[in-house]
Amino acid sequence: MGGARKFMAKIMEEPRKAFITGNEAVTWGALAAGAEIMFGYPITPQNEVMHYWTRLAPQYGKGFLQTEDELSAGFTVCGAVQGGKKAFTATAGPGNVLMQEPFGMAEAMRLPLFAVIQQRGGPSSGTVVYSQQEVTLTTFGGNGEGHRIVYSTASHQEIYDYTIKGFNTAWKYRFPTFLLGDGYQAKMREPLEMYNPEDRGIKMIETYPLIGLPGHIGDNREPQHLCNIYSLEEELYEVVMKVSAEYEKISPEIVEYEEKECENADIIILTHGVVSRAADDAVKALRAQGIKAGYFRPITLRPFPQKQLREAIAKSGAKKLLIAESAYGQLDRLTKQEIYGETIKIENLFMPGVGIIDYDIINKIKSIL
Amino acid sequence: MSLIKIALAGEGGQGVQSIAEILAEAAYNENKQTIYIPNFGLEQRGGVSIAFIQFSDKRIGAPKFNKADVVVALSERAVERTAIYSDENTLFVYDSGFKAEAAEALPKEAKKIIGIAAIDTANHELHPRVFNIIIMGAVIGLTNVVSFEGAKAALEHKLAYKFEKNPDLRELNFKALEIGKNMAEESLKEGVAK
Repeated sequence: MGGARKFMAKIMEEPRKAFITGNEAVTWGALAAGAEIMFGYPITPQNEVMHYWTRLAPQYGKGFLQTEDELSAGFTVCGAVQGGKKAFTATAGPGNVLMQEPFGMAEAMRLPLFAVIQQRGGPSSGTVVYSQQEVTLTTFGGNGEGHRIVYSTASHQEIYDYTIKGFNTAWKYRFPTFLLGDGYQAKMREPLEMYNPEDRGIKMIETYPLIGLPGHIGDNREPQHLCNIYSLEEELYEVVMKVSAEYEKISPEIVEYEEKECENADIIILTHGVVSRAADDAVKALRAQGIKAGYFRPITLRPFPQKQLREAIAKSGAKKLLIAESAYGQLDRLTKQEIYGETIKIENLFMPGVGIIDYDIINKIKSIL
Repeated sequence: MSLIKIALAGEGGQGVQSIAEILAEAAYNENKQTIYIPNFGLEQRGGVSIAFIQFSDKRIGAPKFNKADVVVALSERAVERTAIYSDENTLFVYDSGFKAEAAEALPKEAKKIIGIAAIDTANHELHPRVFNIIIMGAVIGLTNVVSFEGAKAALEHKLAYKFEKNPDLRELNFKALEIGKNMAEESLKEGVAK
């Protein structure tokens, strides 16, 4: 594995192309981002993130701990980041369900937790393969208000890019941050370019401890207030309102989306993640046939680019919005709550747990136009 | 090169995923756009193993597909499992060694159904272990998704440590690759009847 170390050194010198799986892209991205430790528990289709990390980590003096379950993996990340360590985890499906408890703690205590979710089929153990059924869970799971940042990637390049970005987002804003992938992206191989973030003008944020700080509270420093339980309703109310206001304030800086051919469209196709690749192809094919289709893809599912989607609808003059997803209406619900009041007719292509290709979208469009 | 979609299917251990990976890497090294994804469901544990590979000059969309340009099925069960990926534009390739038994399961729709005696050739003329390399050669013969030289280079890269230990393996693998390629090219010319 000396080869891997050399390869990383080369990436740090100049960008390198590679043909690897999405799980490997996560690992390389985490290394490039300067991650120090991963905590995890095995679950398909995320396993290889751990697998590659455990191979690479010892060569770079990085840490890894396999915990007894996902609850523990999530909480150990919560602990490590409080100690100032750039820590992360990765999970999927039922593991994502279990991790909602620590993810909620990260929301409550404003911990810079970074987690990679490779969606598999559900409910329950579902399939080990693929879905987009963890949208609701990843954006609004837990007993809180969804104060999270969720990037939904569509290619290995984006997996690498947003793994690097995800750590920075988490440490800059101190909201738990997620890279939402899926089993297809996790397991497929495709080319990408890996690079040293600094060469792209990306400054990695220096981590810092949240506890054990020098000085004395009330004497020469303020208390940290890392708290996940309150005695009084009013105390909690005050905190949640404050955090909500902060989340709303920073949302415009964080929102990311991709829009194509929406200037003049009869129908806009709304997808996220890997399905947007099929939507992109579908729009090209439909346009070639004289059907005016547009493409809109939220990259951040939380916060959602609702303003930008409303603008796209307005300028396109589109009469219909087709929401296509490998789930039974999770993106659909998320979108509807975000663009409440819009009168555009919303159509659906729900294919829970299976892939969607351009052909499926083209057929659906033709049946509704 | 426009988009070419290939599904390779066989029993676990037949080396389907290995050759898919080598083909995909060879294409990547020739600066083509490539996506390779294995099926990895529970069926993989003791079931039919399928590799989905796509090649193109342009960015490739979805990682899986409904219908393939080429399906290669290496066992009876693989034939049954992959018939759904075949339509009127598909070259459906199977090992002729199990022709009689699999005939019923062969897809109703295909551009051409091609039987290749890969298992038999490997067992009698080469070595059973290079059976999958014959298939890899056949895929190249049918599609030209990668050059023959590119395929050899990718094999060399993948099996370098084995070739180092036993240089005879290099010749054996390259021979298998060539035989497979020739078999496929011949079958296209002959137009083996559907």
